[in-house]
Parts: sequence; structure tokens; C-alpha cells
Amino acid sequence: MSIGKINRRGFIKACGVMAGYAVLTANMTKEAVAAAMEFVGLRQAQVYHADAKIYKIRKSQDNPMIKKLYDKKHGFLHEGPCGHMSHRLLHTDYTDRSARVSALKENGFKLKI
Amino acid sequence: MRKIEDVMYQTNAPDGVNPDNVFFVQVDATKCEACGTCEEVCATGAIQSINEDGIHQVVDTSACMNCGQCLVNCPYGAIYEGVSFVDEVFEKLRDPDTVVVSMPAPAVRYGLGECFGKPTGTYVGPQMHAALRQLGFDYIWDNEFSADVTIMEEGTELINRVKNAGKKGTLPLPQFTSCCPGWMKFVETFHPELLPHVSTCKSPIGMLGSLAKTYGAHETGTPAKKMYTVSIMPCIAKKYEGMREEMADSGYRDIDATINTRELAYMIKKAGINFNSLKGEDPDPVLGESTGAATIFGTSGGVMEAALRLAYEVLSGKKLDNPDIKVVRTHEGINSADVKVPGFGTVKVAVASGLANANKLCEEVKSGKSPYHFIEIMACPGGCVNGGGQPLDPDVLASLFKSTVARINRRFRARRPQA
Repeated sequence: MSIGKINRRGFIKACGVMAGYAVLTANMTKEAVAAAMEFVGLRQAQVYHADAKIYKIRKSQDNPMIKKLYDKKHGFLHEGPCGHMSHRLLHTDYTDRSARVSALKENGFKLKI
Repeated sequence: MRKIEDVMYQTNAPDGVNPDNVFFVQVDATKCEACGTCEEVCATGAIQSINEDGIHQVVDTSACMNCGQCLVNCPYGAIYEGVSFVDEVFEKLRDPDTVVVSMPAPAVRYGLGECFGKPTGTYVGPQMHAALRQLGFDYIWDNEFSADVTIMEEGTELINRVKNAGKKGTLPLPQFTSCCPGWMKFVETFHPELLPHVSTCKSPIGMLGSLAKTYGAHETGTPAKKMYTVSIMPCIAKKYEGMREEMADSGYRDIDATINTRELAYMIKKAGINFNSLKGEDPDPVLGESTGAATIFGTSGGVMEAALRLAYEVLSGKKLDNPDIKVVRTHEGINSADVKVPGFGTVKVAVASGLANANKLCEEVKSGKSPYHFIEIMACPGGCVNGGGQPLDPDVLASLFKSTVARINRRFRARRPQA
């Protein structure tokens, strides 16, 4: 049905449906997010369960392979954490990426932040 | 396009491309029903309505943090992934000259089972290792090992910042975590002045990539140039991280491919492996063993708790008898806590999940009012277990859509004039 041929009742009906979607989907989003967080809670609970019940060692510094890695004599990272080799392989620098977003905003894009 | 665990993927594995220009998620305009859920869950506003019909699109890659929360919350399955390395990984697994290395993240083992009919959150770590071995991975190494390395590095960095606070040349407090790639792009994009506050540590996968091709290559006598490292993540933003130009400290690309939990499930099914009948297996030695501190990286507050298990012992010189530090465990929003360390004092910490919450803490630090020593940020509410690359919540697709339609129909019928 084209908009030209729509009768008065049909128009009101269409408005009603559209308003219904607008109102209901807004509420539904909140409900859905709440339900999704319950789902996430189940996964989180299993993580803590595994930490407490399945993993025999619970501190990183007690992992024998960590001790081997940082062994003061023969370890690959014998200088210890934050040593020279660590800085080469395990640490990094960051980049200022703000320019493109600033340009977007100047071009009239509205962002939330 | 290919459907993988209810999500559409472009089978595109870019090589040598600047990830800043890649749409890791985008909306299929023909499937978008203009409900606006994606816009509501997006913290930055990168995804928004582009026309009068309310059809949504990710308007620009620079504003999108690749977290994928829009994708996992879309009730119409209208959002697809733009990058998939699945075909390339299969190719490398078949190539006898390539040594393929697995690097699965903690949270993958709490989501993967759902793709094979197991209850939500079921821990399938040992079965996952067995499946990776059957798929033909040559080394079953694990990103949980490098989560332990991260604690050693990031915890030591925190202790140095705290001990030397106020001295010249010391990096400032609070220290932010740097494990989450959505958060990392966020702080680089929206709060670059806070970068000195961010831990200089790579994320666990950044560390494992470079360790695999140096330490791992040495320990196993494998030429690093033959190695092909596969990062397996609950995450979409990790695809961006793996493609970062600077991630090449081993002398090669540290991370050759990144797939997520859904794509791993697809590969297991495609290879005809009966996941549920697999007997659990251990990962390979040296870069495989891990601890409880590593596995809790998968949930919001976990990096914090794991780091405190180290910081407590180093700062106090005493043994931490009960490793449970429950006050930092975070389900939603922002959580803050004071942790008393004997012989040292109080360590003030905050944990936030969701980038809107992260933004609040960023503003607080900028205004100079932040009381914290250490702040953990995860882009996805609840942490990696709720990552954009995890299996979808079946309720989002099924019941939300059906119940919305049912409610509207009901309301409409009630209003219809009686004939």
C-alpha cells in the first residue's frame, strides 16, 4: 500500500503500530540487558568456581613455569619482571588516536563522549 | 558471508592493513529493524541511525572500539563481523611446513561448551585443549600462562609506582590495567592525556605472541619463522590488537591470526570432532601451565584480584593465606575497595566494566580527584566472559524478538475497534 492511497483509519493504525514499537522496544532493551546480565553472572560464577576448585595453584608467582621463566640464574627473563628483556618483549607504547574522532566531531557527527 | 554460531562473518583475513580503517563490526542494512538497541548499548555513539527509517550503521571506524556489544545484543542478528581468519588458520593447519601455535584466552573455556549444548558457563578447559590438538595445532600453549606473566609484570610495575610515588621520573598513579583492547583503543582515542597512567604492559596475548616466537621457539628448538600463532579470544577487539603495527617485537608478527570462541566452535564442528566425547587433556609444557589467578582474568575484577594476590605478598612480605579477595569482584558498574596490606597500608582500587563506566573514572582521574592506586577496566559489562566474540545468549535472539512482536500485536488487537 503506497502512502498516497492510505485511508484515514489505515494511517492511524500505522501510527499506532509505530508508536507501539517505539515505546516497547525502549523498555525491552532495558529488560533484555538485565536478562543478559543474569546470563553473564552464570559464566562469572563458573570462573570463580574453577579458580577455587579446579586450579591447584592459585597465585601467579607460585606457577612453576613462571618460576622457571624468571629464574635468576637460567631464566629467560632472569633480570626479573620489568627488566630489560621484559621491556623489549612484554611492554609497549601507546598512540594518541584522538585526531580522527576530533575531525569527525568537527564535521558534525554527534558522539556520546 | 558465512554464518558461524548465529553470527554472520565476512571471510576476510586482511594482511598488512592498518586496523584503524577496518570495520570489525557493521550492520547489515537489510536486516536492521531500527530498534536502536545497538545505539543504546554502545558507549561511544559509533553506531547510530543514518536515515529517516532509523537504519543503523557504524558511522566511522575511529569511533568504534570493536567491543562488539552491539553485535551480541542485537535482537535481529543484523550485525556482522568484518574479519575472519578461519580459512587461513585451516590452511596453515594443513601445511606440514608451518608450526601452528594455539593461544586461547581464559574466558573462551567458559563459553565454548555452550556451542555444544552444555549449560551456560560450563568450564571446558581440558576438552578445549584436546580439541585444539585434534584440529592439528602443533603446540597447545595457553594465554592463561601469559596472564600469569602479566601479573608478574603489571604487579611489579604497580609496586614500583606505589613505592616511588612522587619521585622524579616515576609514572603517575593511579595505574590503569592494559589487558582489554577495547579499553585500550578507547583511552587512546578519547583520553590520550591519560596514557602515562596506563600500564606499559602488553595484554596477555601481546606477551604470549612475542614469547612464543622467542622463548617458546628456543625451548622447543623450532625456527620462529615457521611459527604461526593463533590468538583465540572471547573478543572482537582482539582482532584489532593482533593487527597493531607495533606487535612485532619477536622479529616477526607476534600474532598471526585472531579468531574468537564462536569461530573455534565452528572449526571444531567443521573438522567433525565430537566435542562432547573428548577426554580432557593438558596443554603443552613451558607456555601452557597456569593458575587460578590467570583464569579469573576472564571476569570483571579478575585482573585486579590476581594482581593483589601478588602485591599483597610483595608489599607485606607475608604469605596471603586465603587468595579470595572477594571485594573486587564486579558484576556490573563500578566497584571500589580498600585493601589493607600489613606493613604497608591501604591499597585503594577500583574496577569498572562497560566503557561508559570507564569514562566516569577517566574524568575523575583528569580532575585530580581520583583516590585510587590501581584501576581495572573491561570494555564489556561483566568482563571477557561477556565478550563480543562469545556464543550469543539464546534469549537475546529468541525471546526478545518473539515477545516484542507478541506484545505489540496484543496491544494493537486491544485497540482495534470492534467490527
